[in-house]
Amino acid sequence: MEVEGSMNPVVSVKNLSVAYEDKLALEDITFELKEQAFLSIIGPNGSGKTTLLKALLGMVRPVTGIIRILGYEVPSERYEVRKQIGYVPQRERIDPTKPVLVKDVVLMGRIAKKGWSRRLTEKDHDVARRALEMVEMNDFWDEPYAHLSGGQQQRVLIARALATEPKLLLLDEPLSGVDAATQDVILNVLREEADRGVTVIMVTHDLNPLIEVSDYVMLLNRTIIAMGRSRDILNEYLLSRTFMRRVSVIMAGEKIVISGADHHA
Amino acid sequence: MLELLLHSSMLSPLVAVIVASIVSSIVGSFTVLRGLSTLSAAITHSSFAGASIAVICGANPLLGALAMSLGFSGITAYVSQGNERKADVIIGMIFGFSTALAVLFLSIARTYTATAWSFIVGDVLGVSLIDLCTLIIVATVTLCIVALLYDEFKFITFDIEAAEAMGLRTSLYHYLMVALIALFSVVAIKVVGIILAIVLLIAPAAAAYEFSHNLEKMLLLSILIALVSGVTGFILSIFFNVATSALIGIMTSTAYLLSLLASPKRRKCKEFIKFRRRVVKEL
Repeated sequence: MEVEGSMNPVVSVKNLSVAYEDKLALEDITFELKEQAFLSIIGPNGSGKTTLLKALLGMVRPVTGIIRILGYEVPSERYEVRKQIGYVPQRERIDPTKPVLVKDVVLMGRIAKKGWSRRLTEKDHDVARRALEMVEMNDFWDEPYAHLSGGQQQRVLIARALATEPKLLLLDEPLSGVDAATQDVILNVLREEADRGVTVIMVTHDLNPLIEVSDYVMLLNRTIIAMGRSRDILNEYLLSRTFMRRVSVIMAGEKIVISGADHHA
Repeated sequence: MLELLLHSSMLSPLVAVIVASIVSSIVGSFTVLRGLSTLSAAITHSSFAGASIAVICGANPLLGALAMSLGFSGITAYVSQGNERKADVIIGMIFGFSTALAVLFLSIARTYTATAWSFIVGDVLGVSLIDLCTLIIVATVTLCIVALLYDEFKFITFDIEAAEAMGLRTSLYHYLMVALIALFSVVAIKVVGIILAIVLLIAPAAAAYEFSHNLEKMLLLSILIALVSGVTGFILSIFFNVATSALIGIMTSTAYLLSLLASPKRRKCKEFIKFRRRVVKEL
């Protein structure tokens, strides 16, 4: 499946299959994504969404298939690729009680781009401050990360990914457990990044907020059920096939409201 | 007794205690935050085996401890990256195997009792000039590695998954961090012995954690707690003429227990639990 864009594909995946021991987590995944695109991947629990992100990062080895990102082959050239990626993991996987300040977390995005033992410069601090400003958290620079609410912590993790000045942003459930205001901030920032030329791939379970901002949606349940423009594929038939339960799609003027699929995906 | 404490022969042991306290605080902070306490106990036990083999070969026991603990740290670092259950079993096996090796070699050596006892509970008053130089070199190497890779260590300690995804070679940093534990075990074996090394490594860092919201503060506080506990334990052991390692162990453990009682983090948690109970009752 291919989605149009202005230039060469940023992400190209052909016949990708990934297995954990003897169980297939992803089967025959093929898609291309070009620059300046915002793709949301949705699907039920265990559908392989996080595995797909990890395969793109070269963190899991495919059984079959070819992955090329920004012209590099993954996993063999994964370190070159990773230098150009901003990644936001699931917030729940991080122990929030670890003693770090917000600025430490955001500056980690700069550390990843540096060579061995090179110190952070004033420029790195400026980039980190700007990234924090983009998620409206600039007043929290010197605050302990542990003192923030879940939504604020999520914004800081996104700022860290932005501080890498990435060509490709990968986000694993960035909208999970955050309030509506934080969702708006996150989605606006991601949309702005996509408009600036960054390719954004977001895994999410919350369909409704992403309809407006995503260029493309991938419906995933171990294999790609459908991929295309949100309005073309978010219909009851394809969503019900993806979530293996009845899903209702209600058209409300320009808006689409989906119910029955907001089960954690 | 005061004269004994001020005697020039006490200088080397006191410097050894200070060096061990500083190294333990820095390595211990990363160990505590990354949950590597069990792994570090296995590594310190492997240094016991190395020291015992060196005794048989007539080499410096500290160099034997260094070689063996670095070797075992490589194995434990490798297994601790994979399946957690498997890693737990293998670390447990290394624990037992290295201790068995140590006992075997010490039983072959004629100096069994005195040497074994000095490895197990330390012999800080018997620190020679060569020992002290070895400790200082090992400590300097440790501090240089941490200073050079501090930012990278901080990143993998906070979020190893993102560090890997964003391009850090996390395996390499993990191996280095585990190697630092091996270096610490060499410093600790002479000062407090293999049994109490784990207390010196964990307790000051764990106590500092209770009062810290950033890593730099945790490191400084940990050094302060380790120095106060270590030097106080050393002085008291001279006054009361008892084993130095025992008093250092008791002092650092007490510091940790006191930190739990005074911890602002835990107080906050308790207040929150009380508040929630009150809200639930009111509802």
